[in-house]
Amino acid sequence: MILVVLDHDGTKLRKGSLEALTRARQLAQALGEKVAGVLLAEAGAPLEEARGYVETLYVAELGPYTAEKWAAGVLEAAKGGVKAIVAPSSRQSRAYMGRVAYALKAGLLEDTLESWAEGGEVYAIRYAYLNRVTQKVKSPPPVALTVKPNTTPLAEPLGQGGEVVALQVPPVATVEVLERVQEEKKGVSLTEADVVVTGGRGMGSAEAFKRVEELAALLGGAVGATRAVVDAGWRPYGEQVGQTGKTVQPTLYIALGVSGAVQHLAGMNKSKYIVAVNKDPEAPIFKHADYGIVGDVHQVLPALIEAVKKLKD
Amino acid sequence: MKFIAVIRQVPDGESRLRIQENRVDLSSATLILDQMDEYGVEEALRLKEKHGGEAIVVGFGPERAEEALRTALAMGMDRGIHVVHEGYADPVTVAEALAPLIREESPTLVLTGGQQADWDSQALGAALAEALGVPVVPWTTAIELEGETARAKHDLDEGAEWVRVKLPAVFTTQQGLNEPRYPTLPGIMKAKKKEIQKVAFQGNSRVEILEEIIQEKARLQRILDGKDPVAAAEELVRLLHEEAKVI
Ligand SMILES: Cc1cc2nc3c(=O)[nH]c(=O)nc-3n(C[C@H](O)[C@H](O)[C@H](O)COP(=O)(O)OP(=O)(O)OC[C@H]3O[C@@H](n4cnc5c(N)ncnc54)[C@H](O)[C@@H]3O)c2cc1C
Ligand SMILES: Nc1ncnc2c1ncn2[C@@H]1O[C@H](COP(=O)(O)O)[C@@H](O)[C@H]1O
Repeated sequence: MILVVLDHDGTKLRKGSLEALTRARQLAQALGEKVAGVLLAEAGAPLEEARGYVETLYVAELGPYTAEKWAAGVLEAAKGGVKAIVAPSSRQSRAYMGRVAYALKAGLLEDTLESWAEGGEVYAIRYAYLNRVTQKVKSPPPVALTVKPNTTPLAEPLGQGGEVVALQVPPVATVEVLERVQEEKKGVSLTEADVVVTGGRGMGSAEAFKRVEELAALLGGAVGATRAVVDAGWRPYGEQVGQTGKTVQPTLYIALGVSGAVQHLAGMNKSKYIVAVNKDPEAPIFKHADYGIVGDVHQVLPALIEAVKKLKD
Repeated sequence: MKFIAVIRQVPDGESRLRIQENRVDLSSATLILDQMDEYGVEEALRLKEKHGGEAIVVGFGPERAEEALRTALAMGMDRGIHVVHEGYADPVTVAEALAPLIREESPTLVLTGGQQADWDSQALGAALAEALGVPVVPWTTAIELEGETARAKHDLDEGAEWVRVKLPAVFTTQQGLNEPRYPTLPGIMKAKKKEIQKVAFQGNSRVEILEEIIQEKARLQRILDGKDPVAAAEELVRLLHEEAKVI
């Protein structure tokens, strides 16, 4: 069996789940296995939608998410024996899949861009060294594999609803969730945006980000921030791009007053086009830029906004 | 109380990476204590300073990784355990190597980095927690001990949450947990005399690295002079529209 974890937001499957499903089907075909899905939920779950994609769907309602409960749910679904467990990559999945991999003594293939099976083994391509190196790795089955977002075509439904099997997940109560701290969501989501406009310390103040927001809105994009900016309290942590923030891969990434530290590059160096504005011609960001302007962001940014407006008219 | 920080030695992100025979060659790289692991060392020290007890650094890696253990000892950790292993090992294998040694210490809690700066893995903490049969709190930004439990704040994909967790537990670090201290000169001197227990490990990694390449996208590097900001901005917008066709 190839087991795929179908992640969702309570009402519908996340896009990443359909990418994971495509990978699971590819592995199943190459290894001569069947695909089953597992749908774990805090409360509600898109049961009808999910059973449209798999012949067998294991389901369990587990209350507030913890890595322990999700690992227990996945392991319960995998009890019949698995060649691979595939999940969309996220902070959460990369934690519970670590537990699952250990429990099954499985090869853990994290955040993969591609995967395939050949000669009975599972191969994958992934990034390492803060996104600077591309690795080709392999493991004999079983494997626990997470799928990097936006790397894989979305799976199509099967056309008929699969069988639903309720899981009896043994209770694990070692972590109690006390309080969720939600981030306010506005505009386009950073990780899904086609354009990201990031301000760095060079913006000089929280007020100056009004213009970053304006340019992002004009281009239909999202606002990003560097850690220096988040540490200064100018922008919320949810906007941070980099090693300890979010990884983005938009078509256009505009870095304003950003020096280009490796920890920042780790979150955006795979963007299709990178644009930098920095007053220091020696700033490392220029080495990673397709286009750039050496100049004062307080003069260049208003001019950029005007030039984009002119183009749109 | 006993606080364990699990660490590894990784290349400094600023240092150039070279590829030799399809693998990353670190022989000329500057190697450091992984900065995400450093948060774990700092937190172990702060917990010890507040609650008393012992702070132990456990390292996994080749002989050279002893330098990273020494850095942690110079920051103030009391003693070290170094599991010596050459080459790549996946997190399940590393957890298998470390778990028996950690279990023997009966720690109050274990800390390790949220993500490794070389293999970009986020799973060591979780695999270790599974090996020890204890809970894991990933991407931790705050820890407060409360007797048999700890209250901790940690990041999710969206937002964050406070949890109460039964101890012992494994915590992986996130930026914001603390600001790591620098080793002092007396600290460095003292560290030279601190005990590091060496343990050989020969386990086989399930995951094997077949090939590593540096596939940096060739960037156009068309950098304009911004002395006339309006002209530069107009030219940039023209290039993005007509050449790159992205706006
Ligand atoms: C473990 C760890 C994890 C980290 N994770 C992240 C992460 O996820 N994301 C992240 O961003 N960082 C991260 N960092 C921090 C990172 O190392 C850098 O410190 C940070 O990215 C710097 O942010 P910055 O570019 O805004 O600031 P600076 O490095 O201070 O750069 C500011 C730039 O603005 C330019 N500038 C100043 N004034 C102007 C002006 N008027 N006009 C034009 N340009 C101007 C300057 O020339 C300079 O290049 C991490 C660090 C560590 C140790
Ligand atoms: N997506 C893939 N599907 C199947 N095989 C692949 C894939 N990517 C790479 N390979 C195999 O790996 C070999 C070397 O790949 P690479 O080093 O990625 O160019 C190829 O000759 C293929 O046999």
